[in-house]
Amino acid sequence: MNLPVYAYINLSTGELEKRTISESYFKKYIGGKTLAARLLLDHYPPGVDALAPESVIIVNTGPLNGTGAPSSSRFNISFKNVLSGGVASSNCGGTFGVMMKRAGFDGLVISGKSEHPVHICITDGDVELLDASELWGLDAEKTQESLPKHHGKLVIGQAGENLVSYASAVSGERVAGRCGVGAVFGSKNIKAISAFGTAEPPVLNKKKFDEFVVKWVSFLKKHPMTGDCLPHYGSAGLVNKANANWALPTRNFQRGHYEQADKVSGETLADTRLVRNSSCVSCPIRCERRVMLDGKEVKGPEYETLGLFGPNIDACNMDDILRLNYVCDILGMDTISAAGSIAFAMELKEKGIADFGVEFGRTDNLVDVMYKIANREGIYSELANGSKWLSEKYGGKEFAMHSKGLEMASYEPRRSVGMGLGYATGNRGGCHLNGGYLALLESVGALSLDAQSPRSKAQLTVFMQNALEAVSASGFCLFSAQTFVPAVFFKLGPNHFITRMAGRIMTFSGPLVRFILNIAPALWINSFYLLPHAEAVRLVTGIRMYTGQFVRLGERSFNLERLFSLREGLTAADDTLPDRMTKTPQVKGRADTVVPLDVMLPKYYKTRGWDKNGVPKPRTLRKLGIEV
Amino acid sequence: MSYMITEGCIGCGLCKRNCPVFAISGEPKQMHRINPKRCIECGVCGRLCAKGAVQTSKGVVLQRVPKKDWPKPHINEKLCSACSICVDSCASGALKIAMPKFKGDIDVAAELTAPEKCVACALCEKRCPLGAIRLVPVPAEPSSAAAQKNEAKPDAGRDAASAASPESKASEEVRV
Repeated sequence: MNLPVYAYINLSTGELEKRTISESYFKKYIGGKTLAARLLLDHYPPGVDALAPESVIIVNTGPLNGTGAPSSSRFNISFKNVLSGGVASSNCGGTFGVMMKRAGFDGLVISGKSEHPVHICITDGDVELLDASELWGLDAEKTQESLPKHHGKLVIGQAGENLVSYASAVSGERVAGRCGVGAVFGSKNIKAISAFGTAEPPVLNKKKFDEFVVKWVSFLKKHPMTGDCLPHYGSAGLVNKANANWALPTRNFQRGHYEQADKVSGETLADTRLVRNSSCVSCPIRCERRVMLDGKEVKGPEYETLGLFGPNIDACNMDDILRLNYVCDILGMDTISAAGSIAFAMELKEKGIADFGVEFGRTDNLVDVMYKIANREGIYSELANGSKWLSEKYGGKEFAMHSKGLEMASYEPRRSVGMGLGYATGNRGGCHLNGGYLALLESVGALSLDAQSPRSKAQLTVFMQNALEAVSASGFCLFSAQTFVPAVFFKLGPNHFITRMAGRIMTFSGPLVRFILNIAPALWINSFYLLPHAEAVRLVTGIRMYTGQFVRLGERSFNLERLFSLREGLTAADDTLPDRMTKTPQVKGRADTVVPLDVMLPKYYKTRGWDKNGVPKPRTLRKLGIEV
Repeated sequence: MSYMITEGCIGCGLCKRNCPVFAISGEPKQMHRINPKRCIECGVCGRLCAKGAVQTSKGVVLQRVPKKDWPKPHINEKLCSACSICVDSCASGALKIAMPKFKGDIDVAAELTAPEKCVACALCEKRCPLGAIRLVPVPAEPSSAAAQKNEAKPDAGRDAASAASPESKASEEVRV
């Protein structure tokens, strides 16, 4: 068995060590965020601040990275969440992960703090710490231009250097955005990591795997979501769907519908700005937008950026959104958290509490504001701390739209209550992907479960969280799991009788889902129509991985991350949403347009095998084979 | 396993400039060396070397092949999913994903936009998960097909070195 090799780097002492992960760890945790969560629990000194020199950050890959499987270039970064103080994992599709693997490493465990800016250079099984003083102060784009052209790169911009709480790390034009990964790199004086090598990642059953990949790619190409909708409109195609279902956050989540939303929709983007679609390396889905901005072809915005820099700040200027998206990328800042913090600041001004020079409906000054935030200039330094910090200083906790400190993505939980539960329980905080992404089944996808009913949402959230967790851990993009919704529903359309019936039936599927979760390891089947990722892992590693064990892997991952967060001081009291979501109805007079979190949360804990305080029971941990 | 540069090297730097994985290092006019950890045995260096100074690990000297006889990647557009693994692997920048043919066109494929830059390292062919890209011999006289397979006889490279004049200039234009 080919075991993962990790480089342990201590920046304070300059010590470098190569360690092989034990077989029992590899079989149990596979890689990616799951293995990273285990290593965080093992190596992170308890109680140490995320930005302290002693903190540990793990950059790692899954077994599928670089093998040529579809959408398999995603690498993971796990660390302590700067915004929430709990666990954080951030996923990125740049070339760095694949290159690091070709350079002979499956992951890096970095601790300590360098005295001067450092560039960690990984080539052919060697790690070098190079001086990066000359790169310090450059934006992410220029930094990457200064590094060797053929290397896979992972860099930070000015926001990371200045410890902006939601700074991101950039690889190519792809971004590991959330939770403040850039700030952790900045706190350790890591300006850049680059890798180059030519060792091909091991594939155990090469012949079968190649045949499998060919079939899988054609399956993805034929599916309406991954073969038609995403390549045509990207995630931006969700704007109109969310808007139609009143699930598009508007004016800092005051409403869920924006009359002019079509001006910032994926369709408008495709009609007026799109040059071509593109992809992360190895991805046949190709959802990336390439747009023209001031005579230069740049990466276009995702749905979350469009929603949060558009309707959520009461604006619909596409050009400004494209510019803000680009500026956030080169400064190295998360667009979701930046836009969320700005929307909160706008509402503070509207309510007359504080004035940061930003107001609803105005986007022309925001590029300037972004630079000021990234450089922490004057009062804008406060915006760089995120909306949780702002609400603790200025008040307004009921409309600070975050969970555990991490700003929510652009899905209105009151019209997608399962997503609300996901935001509340996600280990990262208000993240749609870590939260199970039920919005896709409730309000923005082809299937529509009853979006207002709490029924079955707990069980479905648990299932989806586990599945997405496992997909991430093996090195795949979550979009490759969108084929989980059968193609027939897309063909019939969301309003067809059969689609509606299926949605209705799924609303009552809770007990069945819970049963499936309990007997998961007995599901010895692999199919394209379930999670093809499990079969890919089986062929590449030789581990007996089937759909059931795969979902169980996700459960292990979620519980490990939970354990880390609990150890670092989060409690069940943090599994919550702002009052605006749980107490104020979205539509006046319709009492069901709130998130019934108090109904769903106990069921969720029960389904997860956690006690009333949200702590995994010993029995649950035994079942998952987790030793603390 | 890796290829090696032998004493015959005059340090012209042609192989270093064209190595698709940047495995060759050395100062001008001094003997170059190949990083054995990185070499992928594509044979580009040997095909370029006018002195026959590149050997396989078994000691077989690689023979120089004129650039016009190098195979070129051919892309099967029906199989290609435009996943850009080949584009990412191509250090010389010979491949690109085609631009959409019309507005909203998503059925694009990789294409050889700069055939003159291609060094025929075959990394694209090796890494393509769908087998959509193949290196095919250029349609020339049949003798060249045998030459491009690098089935060189020992010491045959020396003869080629003395004969090299017009073709070597052409091949030196590759990535200058």
